[in-house]
Amino acid sequence: MKTEESPFSALIACGLVALIFVLGFTVLAVRLREEQVDNTAVRTFEMERQSKRRVQTAGIRGRILARHGEVLACNVPASSIVLNAEAFAKKSWGGTAAEITNAIARAEKVLGRKSPLTIRDIARHLTNEVSRPLVVWRNVDEDTLARFAEHELDLPGFDYEERLERHYPQGLLAAHLLGYVGREHAKTEAGDRKFHFKENELSGRTGLESYYNSFLRGMPGESELLVDARGFRRAERTIVEPCAGPDLRLTLDLPIQREVERQLRGHCGACVVLDPRDGSVLAMASAPTFDPNEFVPVLKADLYARYLKDSRKPLLNRACAEGYAPGSTFKPITALAGLSVGLNPAEEYECTGAYYLGKFRIRCARTWGHGELDLRTALKESCNAYFCRTGCMAGTNAVMTMARTFGLGSATGLDFVSDYRGIVPDDTWKRNTYSERWYPGDLAQMSIGQGMLLVTPLQMARVIGALGTGRLVRPHLKEGLSFDSVPLSVPKDHLAAVRQGLRAVVSRTGTGHRGADGVEAEVMGKTGTAELGRGATRRKNTWFVAYAKGTEASRPDAQDREVAIAMVIERGESGGGTTAPKVCAVLKTVFNRPPAEKGGAE
Amino acid sequence: MIRKLLRFNWLSFGAMIALVVIGTLTIKSAGGARDVFFHDKWIDNLQTAVFGLAIYAVLAFVDYRRYLSWLSLPAYVGAVLLLVLVLLVGSSQMGGKRWLWFFQPSEVAKLCVLAFLSQVFGSEEFSFRGRFGFRGFLVAAGLAGLPALLILMEPDLGTTLALVPAVIVILLVAGVWRKGIVTMMGVGVLLAATLLGSVYEAEKPGAAEKTRQSIRYYLGAGDDRRTETQEKRFALAPLKPHQYGRIQTFLFPEGDRTGGSYNYLQARIAIASGGVWGKGFGKGETNHLKYLPQSVSMNDFIFCVYAEEQGYMGSLALLGLFAVLCLSGVWTAGTATDLRGRLMALGVSTLIFAHVYVNIAMSIGLVPITGLPLPFISSGRTFLVIVMAGLGIVQSISIHREELR
Repeated sequence: MKTEESPFSALIACGLVALIFVLGFTVLAVRLREEQVDNTAVRTFEMERQSKRRVQTAGIRGRILARHGEVLACNVPASSIVLNAEAFAKKSWGGTAAEITNAIARAEKVLGRKSPLTIRDIARHLTNEVSRPLVVWRNVDEDTLARFAEHELDLPGFDYEERLERHYPQGLLAAHLLGYVGREHAKTEAGDRKFHFKENELSGRTGLESYYNSFLRGMPGESELLVDARGFRRAERTIVEPCAGPDLRLTLDLPIQREVERQLRGHCGACVVLDPRDGSVLAMASAPTFDPNEFVPVLKADLYARYLKDSRKPLLNRACAEGYAPGSTFKPITALAGLSVGLNPAEEYECTGAYYLGKFRIRCARTWGHGELDLRTALKESCNAYFCRTGCMAGTNAVMTMARTFGLGSATGLDFVSDYRGIVPDDTWKRNTYSERWYPGDLAQMSIGQGMLLVTPLQMARVIGALGTGRLVRPHLKEGLSFDSVPLSVPKDHLAAVRQGLRAVVSRTGTGHRGADGVEAEVMGKTGTAELGRGATRRKNTWFVAYAKGTEASRPDAQDREVAIAMVIERGESGGGTTAPKVCAVLKTVFNRPPAEKGGAE
Repeated sequence: MIRKLLRFNWLSFGAMIALVVIGTLTIKSAGGARDVFFHDKWIDNLQTAVFGLAIYAVLAFVDYRRYLSWLSLPAYVGAVLLLVLVLLVGSSQMGGKRWLWFFQPSEVAKLCVLAFLSQVFGSEEFSFRGRFGFRGFLVAAGLAGLPALLILMEPDLGTTLALVPAVIVILLVAGVWRKGIVTMMGVGVLLAATLLGSVYEAEKPGAAEKTRQSIRYYLGAGDDRRTETQEKRFALAPLKPHQYGRIQTFLFPEGDRTGGSYNYLQARIAIASGGVWGKGFGKGETNHLKYLPQSVSMNDFIFCVYAEEQGYMGSLALLGLFAVLCLSGVWTAGTATDLRGRLMALGVSTLIFAHVYVNIAMSIGLVPITGLPLPFISSGRTFLVIVMAGLGIVQSISIHREELR
């Protein structure tokens, strides 16, 4: 076979072609090296950015315990039946949604329960968080769960998931104190580069749950989803396990708390029991109350509306968020103010049934007058005229300073969401608030705890505690959180004079004799009946405050106990008649031996 | 027979077998990520390879002179007829009328055109006056142009373009109108550069809107993704809208992440995230999580599946195997004793090289995206058989260097 070419030029041609080939493969190899060796990190990051979804899993909320370890709030697992969208993936999103709808309909038949999900919910789930399980039935009961377990094989793509819900095993007990939680709808902000999804975490909405939220909430965990091009989940991996928050131990004494709530039941009112030595709150209650379990997992709108519309305001914590006129329970402070400007406690004053100040006439409880009174008797009888005179004698400044000395008009520093400071009115305050000057009548009103003066039961418990111990404490709810108490800047003999009066109050003939009747402890107290409104809306808020110290007669474990208690009942009859017996019952719970034991001893 | 086996190019054969194995495994991995229907595609590939091997053996052990001389003309005519037939009764798939029953005539045509061209310019049988001058070029252009035109009508630009380098090499080595062809190549390069340059000018950030509009109008950009409007196109526009789009994404891959660039960006991620040693067989995430579009992962973009799982070392090995295949073809051409054999060997090698180069280069952004299969690796039965047949002929050329008695 002859060719037109010399072998030499053919070889050159082949060589050239070979050269081009080698060149081509070299270019590919070099460029591949750039991509596969140099760019690996960049592209791996791009890969992860599109295929990894980071999820923040909710932390485990710590429990709330009472003083002796009784559980007040804990977590219980609640099962939800969920659906994994990836099991129903069809070519089109519409097809997938239809498949899911059919599957739910099938499951509804098997479980005999309607699902609250609408087609719109399903579509939203597919658009927004297709890689996550879709909750079909939230917090199902055990029957449904059992039926689901039985039919699990017939319901592919369904699964059940447990999450922790808050539970308050004591029900209504200390509801205002504990508060309640809600699911935080954790919106992942646009700037949030760390997480694509955040599990809705329990978060305190009010009460201690709210105040100690960051203490209780625990550490959120982290998990990672691997998703495919359409966003369906392919794999899941836990990176950080969620961590449980510490338990919150309270100073609350559960038997006392129970008794307090029993006494308040059926009334509007509040009661605070303090240990006046270190400020620990032994009981704190407000009535009417609510059941925090109704707020789990979410508060129904109609229920919430009912709570809000209720004229008795069950959600209001009257113990520390509401101000009341203290009424006669303020009189010890007026007395101390008087003593500080030189009132002689033994000096007698004649009460004629009213106190006249110019045109003003302030009536006394006893219309025909108490007659001659010294300080002790005045306190015992709760004579308005005596204390109006004493207040006017001491002057606005002295009374107010004394009130402030006892912590009125300022927050108590309680570790709690609400800590109303109350109002201790004075000239400036009245000008700012009412654009009116301060009249001597205002001082007279204030001296007997009426008028514009507002205090909380918590403040009053602190006041009576301070009168008992001579030191003003900062109250606290969390165990181990103790603050230094401040000694009152009041001479000892003044205090002793007032104490004498307060002891007389609970004596057999005192206004508050029913406040210590049968209490096996040393008690002093003060009644109070604050009058509000005029005419048809006239009503009385009745107070009783008491300080009690254990004696040898008390129950052995209560012998070295001291308590300060303040209770207010709205629309009561009188402090001595309405409130004192309730306080007495509480004091008995604190100090008295149980009846059975007593019976054995006798 | 023993003498034939002694002259058998074992290196080329070994590389081919290795590539068949690699291809089958990669198809298994790519198909495994898809619907059940595709899970067993690798078995199809293996069966086809066995069939291809039989053809390879027949073509290799029979002297190529014995069959090329009488078979190339009927094969060529047959291929042209098939191409006409596919336009009439073929079935459509992926935006082109390419299928006739179970095979693609355009793939068959590739080999037939090369065989007939090397027969025309390499043997005395078809001798005519001015064979190596301009007239020869005209004949060649006509012979190659007719099937190319038919393939373009399917339409399948990629296959047409893949044929061009092989035809050029055959003509240049045969010595047909060298000056003219070299000049035309130069003009072609200039035209391509102008085209790229114009698209760049139109789409570069900060380009004047008026310039952009008019360049898009004359080049035939068609629908505008940015404004989502159907643009007017110049009647004689050289490009189709999707071709303009491919050049655009080639130049600015980051411009349209979820649209036109998606394929390329995912290919880039797949290849690069493989790293040096790869993620391991069947563990390519881009493929298995379906980020790499499923419609192309077994065909045009199968290199990404391979590169992600086998890494840079795997890529180098693959390039090495292809290099062995192509260069041993050139070696065969160099040692061939007649021009016909030399042309055929070079033509087949160039055809394979063009496919390999363009396929890999497009997935790493060296050329615009073009739908060309990767020989042996892509799932495609017609092409596999054709490539094996072509290599069989090359093997025959190697074995029958000298006429054996």
